[in-house]
Amino acid sequence: MNILQGFETGLATALTWHALMYCFIGVTIGTFVGVLPGIGALAAISLALPLTYYLDPTDALIMLAGIFYGAQYGGSTASILLNLPGTATAAITCLDGYPLAQQGKAPLAIFVTAINSFVGSSIAIVLVMGFAPAIAEFALEFGAEDYFSVMLLGLVAASTLTIGSPMKALSMVVFGLLLGMVGTDVNTGQFRFTFGLFELADGFSIVAVAMGLFGVAEIISNIRQPQGVIQKVGRIRMKDMMPERGEWRQIVRPTLRGSAIGSFVGALPGTGPGIASLMAYATEKRISKTPDRFGKGALEGISAPEAANNASVQSAFIPMLSLGIPGDAIVAVLMGAMILHGITPGPNLINSEPQMFWGLIMSFWVGNLMLLVLNIPLIGLWVKLLSVPYNLLYPGILVFICVGVFSADNNVFDIFVVLGFGVLGYLMRRFGFPATPVLLGFILGPLLEENFRRAMLLSRGDASVFFTSPISAVFMGLSLIFLGSVFLPGLRQRLLRRAPVEMNEDDD
Amino acid sequence: MFKRTFLTTGAAAAALMTALAGPLAAQTYPEGPITIVVPFPPGGSTDLLARQLGESLSAQLDQPVVVENRGGAGGTVGANYVAQSDPDGYTLLMGVTGSNAISAALRDDLPYSPTENFDPVSIVISSPLALVVNSDSDFESVQDVLDFAKENPDTFTHGTPGVGTSMHMAGELFALESGTSLVHVPYKGSAAALQDLLGGRIDAMFGDILVTSEYIANGRLTALGVTGTQEHFLLEGVPTIAEAGLPDYAAFSWQGLFAPAGTPTEALDTLYGAVSTALESEEMQAMFRERGFLVEGMPPAESKAFIASEVEKWTEVVDAAGLKQ
Repeated sequence: MNILQGFETGLATALTWHALMYCFIGVTIGTFVGVLPGIGALAAISLALPLTYYLDPTDALIMLAGIFYGAQYGGSTASILLNLPGTATAAITCLDGYPLAQQGKAPLAIFVTAINSFVGSSIAIVLVMGFAPAIAEFALEFGAEDYFSVMLLGLVAASTLTIGSPMKALSMVVFGLLLGMVGTDVNTGQFRFTFGLFELADGFSIVAVAMGLFGVAEIISNIRQPQGVIQKVGRIRMKDMMPERGEWRQIVRPTLRGSAIGSFVGALPGTGPGIASLMAYATEKRISKTPDRFGKGALEGISAPEAANNASVQSAFIPMLSLGIPGDAIVAVLMGAMILHGITPGPNLINSEPQMFWGLIMSFWVGNLMLLVLNIPLIGLWVKLLSVPYNLLYPGILVFICVGVFSADNNVFDIFVVLGFGVLGYLMRRFGFPATPVLLGFILGPLLEENFRRAMLLSRGDASVFFTSPISAVFMGLSLIFLGSVFLPGLRQRLLRRAPVEMNEDDD
Repeated sequence: MFKRTFLTTGAAAAALMTALAGPLAAQTYPEGPITIVVPFPPGGSTDLLARQLGESLSAQLDQPVVVENRGGAGGTVGANYVAQSDPDGYTLLMGVTGSNAISAALRDDLPYSPTENFDPVSIVISSPLALVVNSDSDFESVQDVLDFAKENPDTFTHGTPGVGTSMHMAGELFALESGTSLVHVPYKGSAAALQDLLGGRIDAMFGDILVTSEYIANGRLTALGVTGTQEHFLLEGVPTIAEAGLPDYAAFSWQGLFAPAGTPTEALDTLYGAVSTALESEEMQAMFRERGFLVEGMPPAESKAFIASEVEKWTEVVDAAGLKQ
């Protein structure tokens, strides 16, 4: 099936009244859970999963995927208005979004992020359409050693692209790897680091770790600070939302660059929207002629990361749909949804389920259009909804987080886990340790170990497979380049700094 | 401590009263909603079976039946929860081979015993597995595999969805009965194992018949034998492994409805009656055909004896393979 035929099949699927309805339900839920800090796309998708049981699998996926990318639109709203990310991936949007709100430009900021989100998604969807089938052809060639090298690249990239101290980021990746060791060993079935707690037999729940480190930690951090200024909200007019002529310049290029970065990062398995927005933000700040404006309400500072996280969410479907590798935790749940509907995501999906594949992709267009139309009139409502005082808001958010965590496995134990990680996350913030690398290590670590050991088992202990397998060798090389790009600039600087000193010594 | 003792006394008194009110309770059970715990996250065949069975039980017993997913540790977290629930017939488990037999063979630290802590209502369905290989491989029959494995110990690789799954046990039993040693390659779930089998990186899989039948139909995989005692309707013309060279070989995965030990016989009988009726329904029959399940519907006493025999069988295999944790 070529792209044009796929286009046709997909549109026929995505434009049926039921697909449109489920798409609308999905993106609406997504917008709401995105705006509400606490219940994120992960919890919402887990909750909605049993409800989709008797649906047509394509409709079910259209809806669940809608929640996923819909949440990326909503996530920035709370970041801008409350300095509290609605979703973990929108954390970076706080940096410039919140100052914009303080300047009374909240409607403008939210409007701009809606546009960025739409453009970012659109660019990535085009890539999914054009390249996912090509990747699928290639997918069956991936063995355990290749997966290992891909995951390794993800890990290296994650630790080198974070803003701030690379040492701290790296140490947090290692910490995440260790957390990932908890649970049942795949190869022997032994319980590791469970300390006799049967509840830890499957390791820490990803929901609990993510919500604790990001959500609960955020609340604890904010409790220590006085309530921010609540804007008196009048009627919001179109004029308040439209950027002025000079401001468009600060939006267009950063949005395009953010989309490109997001699409690339999202397609790399094991990365995800959090890293994409960080990278996009870091890039904008680095190439800007006026980096001082960042952190004080620069439109570039919200445009690039918002375009990037939406683009990465859409392109994250490439490894899932074509390789069967979930790019991040939420895609993993979506993959579970497909499995429950009797569809095994893997190299055969595009050929064996063309109607679902293309229907899903076409629904991305439909859903993103809906989100654009949905979000602009809602701006006024959000601004009011989120100006609830902290002492009322935070207990509510905590309840949402507990409900979100509990609902994943109906297990009270996970609530204590999330609270524990909340305290840990708060301490990490106080000492400047980033939480994102922990989550990456936690997700990638078990995959790395599993594939490493499987590769060794199948090669009968011959470690050279990581370099003799062509795919693995390429990714190993990329990892080395990544590592080099981090350490070389530092090395060069050190050499340059030493050079004048040596000359001075010669002079003496 | 005092509070706890008081509560224990209270529970004992309540149990006594329930026992005294036994005959009366038999006429009234069920008086409230029944919960069926599925020890896996939403998704998969156990969840689907529990939900369909629950719908039918609810209609017959005129009470709501709630399906609750309590996933974790291969089904043992959910099973443990039910083992410790009140034996009143209102909390039931949709148990499987792993949670209610193999785990007891595999783990010393399992906090419950499948034989002592459960009263089975019924073993509902069973399903054999299929020994499948990549169609490009040189193995054309079970005998080919046996010959190869005998000549090349520790070389023939078979992928499974994890340690202690029925697929893993089927492979270990194959090795035990044939006196060979195979390389067990565990994955996290069937999909990943299947992908490697399709890519030619592992030799074989003792796989779910439903999942593998699609690949068999399109010619990418070949089924060499089924692990059951007779030909399977989804794989016509494929011999059983017993027929094809390993005479005593038989392995099944199964799913059943379990109540905590001590549940009143009346409740078990009421539930069993409803399960039997449910199994005859057109809807359930259609689902079984589609999924490749064989209808069992064993009565409680027979189910109890079956579980004991399964625990014994897999304990032997686990001990022989040295897998005990």
